Order: sequence, then C-alpha cells, then structure tokens
Amino acid sequence: MSEETRDEDAAWERLLTALREDVPGPAPAWLEGSVMSAVRESAARRPSALRRAGAWLLRPSLSLSPLTAGLAAAALAALLLVPWRDEPAEAPAAVVAARPAGAAEPVVYVQFVLEAPAARSVAVAGDFNEWDARHVLEDPDADGVWTGRVPLRPGVHQYMFVVDGTEWITDPGAERWTDDGFGNRNAVLAVAPPAA
Amino acid sequence: MEPLTDAQAVRAVLAGQHELYALLVRRYQDVLFAHAFRMVGARDEAADVVQRAFVRGFDRLASCREPERVGGWLFRILANECRDRLRARKAELSLETLPPLRDRAAGDPDEDAHVGELRARLDAALGQLDPEQREAFVMKHLEGRSYEEMASLLGATVGALKMRVHRAREGLQHLLEVYR
Repeated sequence: MSEETRDEDAAWERLLTALREDVPGPAPAWLEGSVMSAVRESAARRPSALRRAGAWLLRPSLSLSPLTAGLAAAALAALLLVPWRDEPAEAPAAVVAARPAGAAEPVVYVQFVLEAPAARSVAVAGDFNEWDARHVLEDPDADGVWTGRVPLRPGVHQYMFVVDGTEWITDPGAERWTDDGFGNRNAVLAVAPPAA
Repeated sequence: MEPLTDAQAVRAVLAGQHELYALLVRRYQDVLFAHAFRMVGARDEAADVVQRAFVRGFDRLASCREPERVGGWLFRILANECRDRLRARKAELSLETLPPLRDRAAGDPDEDAHVGELRARLDAALGQLDPEQREAFVMKHLEGRSYEEMASLLGATVGALKMRVHRAREGLQHLLEVYR
C-alpha cells in the first residue's frame, strides 16, 4: 500500500469519525405524545362499520371534493386481470385475510392500480367486500402509484377507490362505469373464471 | 407479564386497540430519529419526518405483510419520507456560501471554531449528495449496517447499494483535504 493510499485512508477515518461524533441522541421526549395525538385523530376520521354501511346506503350524499377532483385529474390508472389458481406467494395480508374459505371455489386475483401522489392511503371498496374499504392498496416505493391485489369471484363487480379513508373516487382507468342512481359512478369490472 | 411482541402489537392495533401503537413508537422512535437526523440534518425537521412516518405507518398498518418485522417496515416508510424531504427542498447550504476554511496550525487556540467550520462543511457536503447516495452512505458508514441488511431494508440490490456508497464517497472526496 502506497503512502498516498495510507494517507487517504487515514483521512477518510478522520472524516467518518467527525461525522459519527455528530450523534443525534434519542428522539425528543415529546415525540411519542405528538405521534399518538395524530394517530388518534387519524383513527377518529375512519368511519365505523355502521357509518360505512350508511355511507353505502346514502351514497347520494357523497360528492367529489376539490381534492378528489385533483386526484382524479392526475390519476393514471390501469386495471389488470391477473388470474391465479392459487394464492400468490407474495400476496398482501389483506388478500390472505379476505380469501374465501371454500378452497374449491375459483378465485381470480385482480390487481387494482391508482396513481394518487398526494394520498396517504388508498383502499378499494366494492360489492365484493360490502363496500367496506378494507382492501388497502400499497405504495412501497412512495412513487404515488398504489397497487393491491384482491381475490374476486368470477362475475361482474362494481367498485370505487377510497383515498385517505374519506374520499370516494371513481377509477379513472376503468373501461366501464355505471351510474349508481345517486349522481356518482361506480367502475364496473367483469372477471372471467380462471383458465382450467 | 411478557411484553407484547411486535406482531402481537400490530394485530392488536389493527383490531382496534389503537393506543398500543405507542408501544411500537417507543420501540423504534430512537433508531428512526437517528436515521432521519443524519438524512435531513436538523433535529426539529428529523422529528417532524419521524412523526409523519409513524402516522403514515399507522394509516397503512393493514398492508404490513410481516407484522413480526414491523420495525423494518416502519424504517422503509421513514426512508421514503426522508428522501422525499430532501428532494423537495432546495439545498440551503452549499459549499460556495461558506467562507474559506482556515489553515489549522498545530496547537490552534481556536479549535472549537475550527471544528464548527468543519461540521458546517460536512453538513453542506452531505447536502450535495443525491438522497439515495446520502442514504446509502449514512446507513453504511454512520449506522454501521451491512450491505445485506441495507438491501433487505431498502429493497435494493447489494450491487446498487455499493455503487451508491462509492458515488457518495466520490462526492465527499474534496473534504478529505482538510482531514489530511
């Protein structure tokens, strides 16, 4: 090893030592309380099961807010049909939990995609889950594209996306819609049986 | 009574016992805060980023596929938040805005001032790195993590991470002169 290389290595060590000495210490004492306060607020915004049922029955009261309109305008959505005979190895927990008990029943895993860069959460609600937004989409690389697979029985289904737990939006990438009779549109999805 | 495991806490929170989320906050806030501090460079901003990550984690907890590894999952959310924060802000510090570094003579009586100047230079130099390079450098050299652990946490390949660290070191090369 040359003298120059040794000098450089030693300089690196001194530089790294200086950086490591700038220790942040523990998190501020107020952080936990602040987080939990925000968590309680977030939990309070989630509709209860009763209110969710009411939201479905009283869908005419739902309307698109400016936020929703902005999201919809920015949205680039695609719906892919991805049939599997069996559950995929990387299935999200929500999919596992929602899988029908009857193993013999054919199930098709449908991948839902919504681009919503400003969203903090995205879920899909439809007639397949009693319009309960329990199927949560994920955005693990935080690029604003939320995806999630949901097991559906073959047939025709209607659904909407639920952004941040409160904003119901129509999938802008759906190929078919149907008026729900109350001024909103549900996306319509036809799921073919898995190939034999 | 045995403390709840991470997986038990996650399931309890998802079942509606939201206050148990505080258990996860207490368990991981220090390590997340340390990472955020080294990424964004200021305690207040680091605390804000950590809070956002925890709340985002709570909102999306149902999508945590491996509740027994919720700590790594939260770290990944935090890492995303840190990178977003760095991308969103313009570099407030740049090397050009700093005064020239004085020569340090042996026995310099103004050692503290010299150390302060060095620190400002380090902060500025780190601020010039791409967020991904800074992240890899911080995790490898300041947090002492292995490449395998980094790959597992960040979902990147070991090769890509080694390249980021290499680029980061290149980006900091000009600092070496003052440490010779």
